[in-house]
Amino acid sequence: MMVRSKSSRMVRTIVGWAVVALFAFPLYYWMTVAFKEGNEIFNWPPKVWSFTPTIKNFEEVFGISFGFGFGEQREVLPGGGNFRMGPRLWDSIVIAILSTALAITIATLASYALSRMNFRGRHHFVSWVLSTRMMPPVAVAIPIFFIYKDIGLLDTYTGVILIHALMNLPLAVLLMKSFFDDIPGEIDESALVDGASRWLIFRRIVLPMVKGGIAATAVLCFIFSWTEFLFVLTLTQTGLKTVPVVSSTFVTSTGTAWGSMAALGAAAMIPAFIFILLVQKHLVRGLTLGSVKQ
Amino acid sequence: MATVEYRRIGKSYGAVEVLKELDLTVEDGTFVVLLGASGCGKTTLLRMTAGLETISAGELSIDGKVVNTVHPRDRDVAMVFQNYALYPTMTVRENIGFSLEVAKKSKAEVAEMVENAARVLNLTEYLDRKPAALSGGQRQRVAMGRAMVRNAKVFLFDEPLSNLDAKLRAHMRVEIRQLHNRLGATTIYVTHDQIEAMTMADRIVLMKDGSIVQEGSPDDLYDRPNSLFVAEFIGTPQINSLEGRIVDDGGSPAFETGGIHVALPAGYGAHTGRRVICGIRPSDVTLDPDGPLRGTMSIAEKTGADVQFYVDIDGREFVAVAPRASYVSAGTTLAFAVAPEKLHMFDAETGRRIEL
Ligand SMILES: Nc1ncnc2c1ncn2[C@@H]1O[C@H](COP(=O)(O)OP(=O)(O)OP(=O)(O)O)[C@@H](O)[C@H]1O
Ligand SMILES: [Mg+2]
Repeated sequence: MMVRSKSSRMVRTIVGWAVVALFAFPLYYWMTVAFKEGNEIFNWPPKVWSFTPTIKNFEEVFGISFGFGFGEQREVLPGGGNFRMGPRLWDSIVIAILSTALAITIATLASYALSRMNFRGRHHFVSWVLSTRMMPPVAVAIPIFFIYKDIGLLDTYTGVILIHALMNLPLAVLLMKSFFDDIPGEIDESALVDGASRWLIFRRIVLPMVKGGIAATAVLCFIFSWTEFLFVLTLTQTGLKTVPVVSSTFVTSTGTAWGSMAALGAAAMIPAFIFILLVQKHLVRGLTLGSVKQ
Repeated sequence: MATVEYRRIGKSYGAVEVLKELDLTVEDGTFVVLLGASGCGKTTLLRMTAGLETISAGELSIDGKVVNTVHPRDRDVAMVFQNYALYPTMTVRENIGFSLEVAKKSKAEVAEMVENAARVLNLTEYLDRKPAALSGGQRQRVAMGRAMVRNAKVFLFDEPLSNLDAKLRAHMRVEIRQLHNRLGATTIYVTHDQIEAMTMADRIVLMKDGSIVQEGSPDDLYDRPNSLFVAEFIGTPQINSLEGRIVDDGGSPAFETGGIHVALPAGYGAHTGRRVICGIRPSDVTLDPDGPLRGTMSIAEKTGADVQFYVDIDGREFVAVAPRASYVSAGTTLAFAVAPEKLHMFDAETGRRIEL
C-alpha cells in the first residue's frame, strides 16, 4: 500500500462520511417520525434533532403497553385504532426465514449437481432455470391464486413460504452454481479417489467451502421475502400478512397514519438487521485459498 | 499384486486427439516414470487410470480386471494431483487423515498413521495449520502425505516434487523410493525432471504428442535411445548432434561432416553413403590433442566437479564435459576424442536410430 498524505486521507474521510450520511439520514428521519407525536410529524420546518420522543406509536401498533400479543390473530382494522401488529411481524419472520432456508437447501443441492455432474442438456437446464424468473410475477399471481385455492394452500404459511422460495430459486441456483464453479474440480476428484462418496464430498469438503456463498445468497433471499408484496397480497386473506402488506393498510380513506407506519417500519428493520448481522460473519472471502497451485 | 495394462488406449476431446493407441504394461510392483514435454498427455493418462477421465478407446485393466467403467472410488488407486488439490477448510492433519477416516479406521490408528507420514515429510509442526498458511513446498508435501497413508494397489503421482527446493527434492526422492520399496505397490510417476526419472524409475516411458516414443529401463533410454528425440530428451547437458554422412575411410566406416572424420564401429560399413545425424553425449568425449573433434572454445563453465566447454566445431556449438582440472580459459583451441561405441547414429530423415 502506498503511504498517503495527510490531506488526501482527510478528503477520503470526509467523502466517506458524506456518503454514509446520504444513506443513513433517510433512515434516521424515518426513525424520528416513529418517535414523534401525530402533530409533530407535520411540523414545518421538520424537527430533526430536537423533539419530544414518545413511544405512543409503538404502543398503538403493537397493542397496549408494548405487549407483543403473538397468540392473537386479530384482523387489521383500517382507519386507525388498535392495530396489534406483533403477530404480523412474526408472520414476516417465519416466512422469510423458512422460505430462505428452503430456497438455500434446494439451490445448494441443485447447483452442486449442475456444477459437477455431466448430464445431457445441462446447459439448457441452467438457462431454463433462469428463464422461469423472466416472467413478471403479476403474470403468475392470478393462476397461482386459483391453484392455491384448489389445493388448499391459500392463506397458509406453507403457501407463502413455497412461493417465496420458488421466486428465489432461479437466482439462488445461479449464484450458488458460480460459487461451486469456483472450486477446482480436482478437490472433489481427489476425495473421490480417496474413496469418499459424492454425498460425503459434498458435506465434508465442498459445503464448508461455499459457506460464504450460502451466506450471501441467504441475505438476498431473505431480503426478497422480507419485502415481497404482490404474492402476500394476493395469496393471503386473514390468516397471515407480512409487514409490507399490512403497512399499506395504514393508508386509509381518512388519511395516512404516518406515525404508526414509521413505527412498524422501524420495528421491521430489527429482525432483518439481526439476520444479516448473524449471516454476515460467514461472508468471508478466500475459503479456497491454498488448495491448488495458482 | 496389481499390474496395470493399457491396450490401444485412446482419448479425444471432440476432434482433438490427446492420446493415440497407447500400449503399455506396468508390471506389478514396478516404479514407472512417465516423461514427456508439456501437453503430451501425461496428466490425461493418469486421470484415466484413476477413473477421473473417460476412456475414448481401448481397454484399461488393473490387476487383470478391465476397469474402463469402474468408479474411481472402487479402483483402489491413490493419486497426487499436479496442483495438490488440498481440502482448504481442513487442517493438514485432517487432510492427510481424510482417506483413513473414509475407510472407517479407528481414531488411534488414523492418528498414528498421520503422525508417521508427517514425520517422514517434515510436516509435524504444521499439522494443525490450514493449507492457506503453508508454503508451496509444504502444500506439496501434504498432498504427498495424503497418498502415503493410503494402502492402495496403484499409486499415481503427477509431478509431486516440482515445487520443492533441490535439497528437499533429493530427500523426497529417496523417501518416495523407500515408500515404494516398503509397500511394493505399482507406481506411475509423472515428471519433467530427468534426474528424478533416471534415479527413481525401474522403467521410463517417454511420451510425445500422445504416443509412447520409447519405453525401457533408464539405462536403455540413455545408452540406446531409439530416436534422436529420445537422445535429445534424456541427459543433461543435451546430446550434441552433428549432421553428416557415413563414408568409407580406407576400408573402415567413418562419420564425416565438414572437415571432421570420426571413426565408427565396423558394423556401420553397410550404411556407407547414408545421410545421418551423429549424437555424441557431452560426457562421452575426452580431451585429446589428436582427437578429431577440434574447435575454438568460447565458454568454460565450472559446474562443481566438472567443467563444461562450449566449443565451436564446424560452425556449430558443441558441448563437452571434462574434469575440473582441465579448465582452460576461453579462446583456446581444444580437441576431443570419442570412443566409436559411444556414438549414436540416427537417420537424417526419420531421426530413427540406425541399429547395428
Ligand atoms: N478438456 C480438454 N479439452 C481439450 N483438450 C484438452 C482438455 N484437457 C486437456 N487437453 C489437451 O490434452 C493435452 C494433454 O494434456 P495433459 O494435461 O495430459 O498434458 P501433460 O502432459 O500433463 O502436460 P504438463 O506436463 O504441462 O502437465 C494438452 O494438449 C491439452 O491441451
Ligand atoms: Mg500434467
